[in-house]
Amino acid sequence: MFYQTDYSYIYGFSVSNIDISDFLKVIMHIPDGYLSPQTYIPLIGIFVGVAAVSVKKVKKEVSARDIPYLGMAAAFSFIIMMFNLPVPGGTTGHAVGSAVIAILFGPWAATIAVSVALIIQALIFGDGGITAIGANCFNMAVFMSFVAYYIFKLLGKRSAGNKRIFFSAFISGYLSLVMTSILAAVEFGIQPLIASDNYGKALYCPYDLSIAIPAMAIEHLLIFGIIEGIITAIIVSYFLRNEPGLIYAFRKGGKNDNE
Amino acid sequence: MGNKIPPYLLNPGVGRNGSVKLQGAKLSFLDKTILNAATAVKSIYLQEENATKENPVQKINPDVKLFSLIFLVVVISIINNLVAQIIVTAVILIFYIVSRIRVFEVYRKIFFLAFMFGFVVVFPASLNIITQGEIVFNLISLDKPLRFWIYYIPQDIGFTLNGFHVVFMVFLRVLNSVSLALLIIYTTSFPAFIKSFRIFRVPDTFLMIITLAYKYIIILSRTIEETYFALKSRLSGNIKNSNIRRLIGGRIYFIFKRSMIIYEGTYYAMVSRGYQGKVMIHSPKHFTVIDFITLIIVIAFGIGIILI
Repeated sequence: MFYQTDYSYIYGFSVSNIDISDFLKVIMHIPDGYLSPQTYIPLIGIFVGVAAVSVKKVKKEVSARDIPYLGMAAAFSFIIMMFNLPVPGGTTGHAVGSAVIAILFGPWAATIAVSVALIIQALIFGDGGITAIGANCFNMAVFMSFVAYYIFKLLGKRSAGNKRIFFSAFISGYLSLVMTSILAAVEFGIQPLIASDNYGKALYCPYDLSIAIPAMAIEHLLIFGIIEGIITAIIVSYFLRNEPGLIYAFRKGGKNDNE
Repeated sequence: MGNKIPPYLLNPGVGRNGSVKLQGAKLSFLDKTILNAATAVKSIYLQEENATKENPVQKINPDVKLFSLIFLVVVISIINNLVAQIIVTAVILIFYIVSRIRVFEVYRKIFFLAFMFGFVVVFPASLNIITQGEIVFNLISLDKPLRFWIYYIPQDIGFTLNGFHVVFMVFLRVLNSVSLALLIIYTTSFPAFIKSFRIFRVPDTFLMIITLAYKYIIILSRTIEETYFALKSRLSGNIKNSNIRRLIGGRIYFIFKRSMIIYEGTYYAMVSRGYQGKVMIHSPKHFTVIDFITLIIVIAFGIGIILI
């Protein structure tokens, strides 16, 4: 046999199958218990508002096709996290995917697509909390999608060469994840300030801003951001070479024409 | 009779240029992707299988179960009493046993998630560097306290009682929330559960998107599994990094195209059934006496737990 296959995962859970990106999941998919109601309730409210606007915007673009289109985009957003890439050190990594989805489908569709993927992940797989759904969707579906899309639009002109677009997609994935991690760190870091008992003991996330921000920013600047950037760049470049018309950010006509 | 098989085929780990480690490391991305797809399919099948089993929890109206889930998860998030959290843990475990869910298999997953999300990340908070309090177990004693920039390291570093309280509180919150969510999900058909979000005025369009995405995920996960198994059976030796990138890009592109085909097909199927851009989801299941009793018990339990 050329390569030994381990089928144990089909029958049961195996800790040996964890890769570097699974640690990203621990950090980026905020579980229940870390955020106080003072944080998660407003974030649910903001997310609901943005989601309502997003559905209307997408409906304008694709008319009656909005439901199957967004369903497909959401499934693709979920699926993209399954693709692993070898990273130095012998392990593998996968992307959050919001940057790719935003570039391929546009930021409004990405908001819905990534949110639906996150909701299914939280409900079926237990990745991310129920109370934290608003926070996770706001961070990864709304904030990350818009940041990634507009960074790409700013740097990656269609007329520029493939190398420039590869670089733009990398920067878009890299910076959007780093900035999202800092946003999540702020949400974690304010918990000891807004939710402590009378003796100063933290009731939710115990790490304040001085710990949460450096911890999250450093690992995303040095590891996870690079993985996100590489995967975003690989996918966008492949689409560009084979069927650039599928890339929303390059689609001709209207406000999305970048040429 | 002599062995005519080439040596590189008899040695499982050696590539054509003899780089054993590199081959395994590079090809592990195939295994990991197959694993991810298989885990997704397995979780969905496990959920469907459990959801269709006849048991007392399964019979409860999905609307009541959704309300109970949201209400109790909020309760779990606001209580700061360890005893109350442990009672919730015990009650959820009893419901798992009553529901005849594969307790061992599901709890293995729950404990892993709770350990990763609720313990590993929070454990350093049990030290007095993070959580102030009386040291119950001293780890290191420095010559003098250290201060640099905005950070302060006390002279004695050790675990505090307050710190342990914080760690176990977060751990139990994660454990209880995950186990409660999975209990409800494993005893309810997913489409029925999604429909029940109408009680919170979530628009039908959004619910339809979730339901469709869920179905697409099953189809696409299986496609990935099959594609990668086929790919794996054809790959050997060393692969250049640029080829790996092209290979992954190509698979994602293929999945994207496949998604587009499925989406087009779904749209035309919907149109042929009279779809004109508006959806209305019907929830035919009516409330029974058992549903009302469940609702009252859940609310009473939640209030009781808050008052402990």
